[in-house]
Amino acid sequence: MSAHASLLRARDLGRTYDGYIALGQFAIDVAAGELVALVGPNGAGKTTFLTLAAGLLEPSSGSVSIAGQAAGSIPARAALSYLPDTPVFYEDLSVAEHLEYVASLHGVEEPGSRIEELLGRLGLADWEDSLSSELSHGMKQKASIALAFVRPFQVLVADEPFDGLDPPSREVLFELLAEARGEGAAVVVSTHRPDVIAAAGRCVGIREGHLAYDGPADPAAIAEFFDAEELSPGRAAGGG
Amino acid sequence: MSQGLGGVETPTGIEALRRMRSTRRRRYVEQLDVMEVLYRVYLGLIFGGFGVAILAGAINEAPATPEALDWMRAHLAAAIGLALATGVYAGLRAGSHGGPLAIEAAEVQHALLAPIDRGAALRPLALRQLRIGALAGAVLGAVVGNFVFRRLPGSPVEWIAALAAFGALVPATVLGAALLASGRRLRPLAAGSLGFLLVAWSAADLALGVTTSPATMLGELAVLPLQGGSKAALAIPGALLALAVLAAGLLGVGGTLLEAARRRAALAAELRFSASVSDLRTVILLRRQLASERPRRRPWLRLRPGRPGKPGAAILRRDLQSFLRWPPVRVVRAALLGVGAGALAAGAWSGAPAALVLPGLLLFVAALDVVEPLAQESDHPTRRRLLPIDPGSLISRHLVAPSLALAALVLIGTATAALVGRDTAALGVGVVLCVPAAIALAVCATFSATADPYGNLLTTPEVQYAITAAPAFAAAVAVGLPLILARHAERQGGATISVAATVAVFIAALAAAGIAFLRQRFFKRDLGRAAA
Repeated sequence: MSAHASLLRARDLGRTYDGYIALGQFAIDVAAGELVALVGPNGAGKTTFLTLAAGLLEPSSGSVSIAGQAAGSIPARAALSYLPDTPVFYEDLSVAEHLEYVASLHGVEEPGSRIEELLGRLGLADWEDSLSSELSHGMKQKASIALAFVRPFQVLVADEPFDGLDPPSREVLFELLAEARGEGAAVVVSTHRPDVIAAAGRCVGIREGHLAYDGPADPAAIAEFFDAEELSPGRAAGGG
Repeated sequence: MSQGLGGVETPTGIEALRRMRSTRRRRYVEQLDVMEVLYRVYLGLIFGGFGVAILAGAINEAPATPEALDWMRAHLAAAIGLALATGVYAGLRAGSHGGPLAIEAAEVQHALLAPIDRGAALRPLALRQLRIGALAGAVLGAVVGNFVFRRLPGSPVEWIAALAAFGALVPATVLGAALLASGRRLRPLAAGSLGFLLVAWSAADLALGVTTSPATMLGELAVLPLQGGSKAALAIPGALLALAVLAAGLLGVGGTLLEAARRRAALAAELRFSASVSDLRTVILLRRQLASERPRRRPWLRLRPGRPGKPGAAILRRDLQSFLRWPPVRVVRAALLGVGAGALAAGAWSGAPAALVLPGLLLFVAALDVVEPLAQESDHPTRRRLLPIDPGSLISRHLVAPSLALAALVLIGTATAALVGRDTAALGVGVVLCVPAAIALAVCATFSATADPYGNLLTTPEVQYAITAAPAFAAAVAVGLPLILARHAERQGGATISVAATVAVFIAALAAAGIAFLRQRFFKRDLGRAAA
């Protein structure tokens, strides 16, 4: 892969907690238009990597850059959209107000049409004036997805975004991811779902904080590195 | 589309943030129950005014003696500075763990991850804390000033102004230190060392009777009407330094680590809920988590295996093991609380007898840490009920180790009081009181730590607050009453130790009644569950 085309780059990236290595010497390049499925058993380090890329965690060693800027810097925050595994909302703002607010924070002019489009596609149109406490888990997840897509980005990192979604919403999310790729975004999605892995062009596997696999999203090739149980949806209870 | 946040077409990020906060504030105010707020203000004024009136009556005594004034001129600023330095130490430690701001999780996720200046986003939150703290400090300072001028030289205006200014600067300094540590991302060791240096410097000032530490200089502001000449002038650099720390903290607040902010956001939300239902036990546990106060992996000392078949010895051993895994910060805190209690007792003995209730409150705070093993038995009823020992015996045996530890703290306080007050009578009173006061403190803390916060939800908030405050009040009385009566006996020319001993017997009897009540509480809980 060309280094110049890399929108997300990690070099010798490491993170420890009181001596425990959550991520060690991790390296990755993700190019524009690429969709990477990040796989690995629970506790492997997937969420740690994604939050490091988002700038929510500070690395213990190494570096991670977004569009050539250090993760967490203002240009990197403008370039990266982070979709967390647990939706996070203000308890006193409605879904539509969240979307308007996040769009405004990212300098989106006239976000109305994009908000309407996302609400419609994700089946949230009837819930736009609802507070988060009035939403089911699936609805919250859909609102969280809308928040990730309402703003411009060059890199999208999503932590188990398909969890809790019904089949039509999963299809919408696949479409949104494909559109983002089509517009030149680099996308990294942590997942345990075979259908998401199959849709990705590339698969990166992490085990015990270290890179275990980096290659095509070919089930046979991946199976050499991970047990089927480690990646099955039935075990997809938590982040890495 | 919904009506949204207001309708400005193309706001910049920071403008959007300001507009959203303003909208949320407006909504919050709109949702407030005005009558409820007025009722609370009314209650606050009634009880506050009542308390101040009682205090005024209690300490409205003769002016301080010339000897006491000499001591105050030489040492009081340093003593106040030492207390302030301890606050700064706590602030630095809180800052090294991501404090003092408790930012909403949504604010971290949406605002702080947006491409806007984090300093500009966080400064209003810090300024809001500063406003509240400075105002409360100034009011408290003015109230204290209103009492002090009756006993010390200086006009009411001088004392009220000096103490109000000092009161406003204390939270500003502590907040500034915390913001500085947080924004500059000081590690806990560095922040703790810096704080410790300031405390040691201020302690040296106190011992030597000089004013060199910045905290002592600020302390000079609190006693400005007493001082004159160069000592009084030192209050100016002290105040300027405090403001400089605050300014540096506010300027650097954007450097706050997001991972610490996220962690604090989750814990602070739980903490607010626990405080709202007066769940003191959960508040303590969450506060420890906020401060990353974890038991040591390696104990200070490994106990040799005990002999099997002795439940009492096993429980004592388990409790001692808990103490031996205390992190250094908890050990230091407990020791400082003992020292502080002793110093306060000595000061109150010679100056303001009403303040003799304060040592008990400080020791009660320490006791809440000391009864931790017992509180854990309360946290895990199933584990408790599986033990082949009745719950009453279990609880009373768990009180042995905390009582021993608290007796040690009372002795630390006694030694401090003797040193500060230069009065050997303090040693006698302290030794006589040490065991009954320690047992009473352990019982009071156990009442708090093992209370069922949801048992009183059907009562009014005022009753809930009273139930929550009762153990602390009892602890203040258990330590303060013998001291007040012994002081009174001394002033009347009587024997202080015999009076203290008589009251100690009474306190011991009350503590025994408290233990019986606690045994009954656990009997009822376990039998009730078993029956269910």
